[in-house]
Amino acid sequence: MSIIEHIRLLTGGVFLLGGLVLFALELYGIYHMKYVLNRMHAAAIGDTLGISFCLIGLMIFSGWNWTTLKMALVVLFLWWSSPVSSHLISRLEVETNPELSKHLKKGTLEEITESKEEQS
Amino acid sequence: MTKEALELIYSNIYYVVLIVLALMLFVCLVRAIRGPRIADRIVAVNMMGTMVMVGIAVLSLLLKEGFLVDICLIYAMISFLAVIVITKIYVREYIKEHQKEVEEDEHH
Amino acid sequence: MSKLKQTQDYEKTASFKFFRWISGEKDPYIGTIEMQEQSEHQVEDDTITERMWEKQMIIDEIYDVDHNRILTKFHKLYKIAAVLFCVALTFFLLLTVSYLPRTGNAANPDNNEVAQRYIESGLQETGAVNIVSGMILTYRAFDTFGETNVLFIATVCVMILLMVDEKTLEERSEARLNSGRIKDDIILQMTAKFLVPFILIFGIYVILNGQNSPGGGFSGGAILGAGLILYANAFGIKPTQRFFNEKVYRIAKVSALCMYGCIGLYYYTMGANHLADHIPNGIPGHILSGGIILPIDICVGLEVACTMYAFYALFKRGGL
Repeated sequence: MSIIEHIRLLTGGVFLLGGLVLFALELYGIYHMKYVLNRMHAAAIGDTLGISFCLIGLMIFSGWNWTTLKMALVVLFLWWSSPVSSHLISRLEVETNPELSKHLKKGTLEEITESKEEQS
Repeated sequence: MTKEALELIYSNIYYVVLIVLALMLFVCLVRAIRGPRIADRIVAVNMMGTMVMVGIAVLSLLLKEGFLVDICLIYAMISFLAVIVITKIYVREYIKEHQKEVEEDEHH
Repeated sequence: MSKLKQTQDYEKTASFKFFRWISGEKDPYIGTIEMQEQSEHQVEDDTITERMWEKQMIIDEIYDVDHNRILTKFHKLYKIAAVLFCVALTFFLLLTVSYLPRTGNAANPDNNEVAQRYIESGLQETGAVNIVSGMILTYRAFDTFGETNVLFIATVCVMILLMVDEKTLEERSEARLNSGRIKDDIILQMTAKFLVPFILIFGIYVILNGQNSPGGGFSGGAILGAGLILYANAFGIKPTQRFFNEKVYRIAKVSALCMYGCIGLYYYTMGANHLADHIPNGIPGHILSGGIILPIDICVGLEVACTMYAFYALFKRGGL
């Protein structure tokens, strides 16, 4: 077997393993954080970098194929749409939680502006 | 290394990856059941979808069928669309109920 | 000489009464049975207060979590029993599945000469590399026609139940509260501007490749519908109505179904009489192959896309 096969096996394996480690980190983060707005930081790791490493590893395993191109398209689509999903979920949380100020350090925007107007 | 040995190595790698992904899926499911807010559950389901996408891609290489990656792309699109529609509907319903309660309090 | 009875004697006989009953001059019940008119059921105030008192007593005594020991025991048992029930159900279902014969076993009842004919001469007769697509759209095209009909009937039923005319909808949307919804989100609009053409093109790709790779009309139509739903969600209903309103929807749906029927009819008559049909089978693996499959795929795809979007729009706002 030529050296290229060795290199392909090694690099692809490293990327795939790295992706799985990132998924495991994401799972740990989801359980460690206390509030959902913090958990979304952890979830975003897996959605963008985790799946990219896994799919790049699989692309290296597969070689120059149409399959490789389709996997690259999947990665691009996910990079585009995953932040928008996070944005919408955070909007949902902010607008439907009546006890939001409990979790914030300083307060919501209205409270901060009100307190500034009272001071001045 | 002969060709059969190489194939065997690749197959074993794919099997191990699939088993690990299945375990992680189960852990995500526990988070989806336990999470106190709705946003917890939506985030957990999104994560499960991402792990399933990796699983589909691995399966497509394991079975040597190239067209299964199309299904991966379709799954990504549909899960993205589902998040959008769920958030919009929930916020609208919540605000409707909230307005009704505020009006009732003002009446009384 | 016959004797005719007198009138008074005749009126006492049974035959007179019988004939009178048949002709309907006299109703046998009126005047003999007295019926009272029914009045509305009046509920007295005492019973109302008694029922309210009983309801309050039930709520106080039985749902009192602090003092009702049976209730707390039930709550604890309920969780355990729910988990046990799910596990038992899963176990029994898996046990039943394990009794099924292995797929592909030679002694299975579905391994008869029909499946063999499809597999052996499927590629040659239909020209499709994907045997499943080839089978459901050439050998079993009539079943698929029935399914497309079902989709049509489903949307018609939903329209009957849920559709409101445009004037009432506009009045309703003006009266509704408009503040605070996630409306005109700029991030979502920018994303939708770039993603919707991509999704629509991908849907068309899946439809056109029905005979070469898994996909076909149904999944491609679902993707097209998803693209339209994304556009309607991001920009609102008015920009979507510029290119997909009720008129376009009607024309697309009815013409897709009718075209499927006409193409199918032509093909059935040609194929059943072993005449050569004008749509060639082509080289397997190319886009323009598969004979009848490509036009039928396009019709089915349009149908499913319209169905998906119509369900979304009708359930969300009551009009297309």
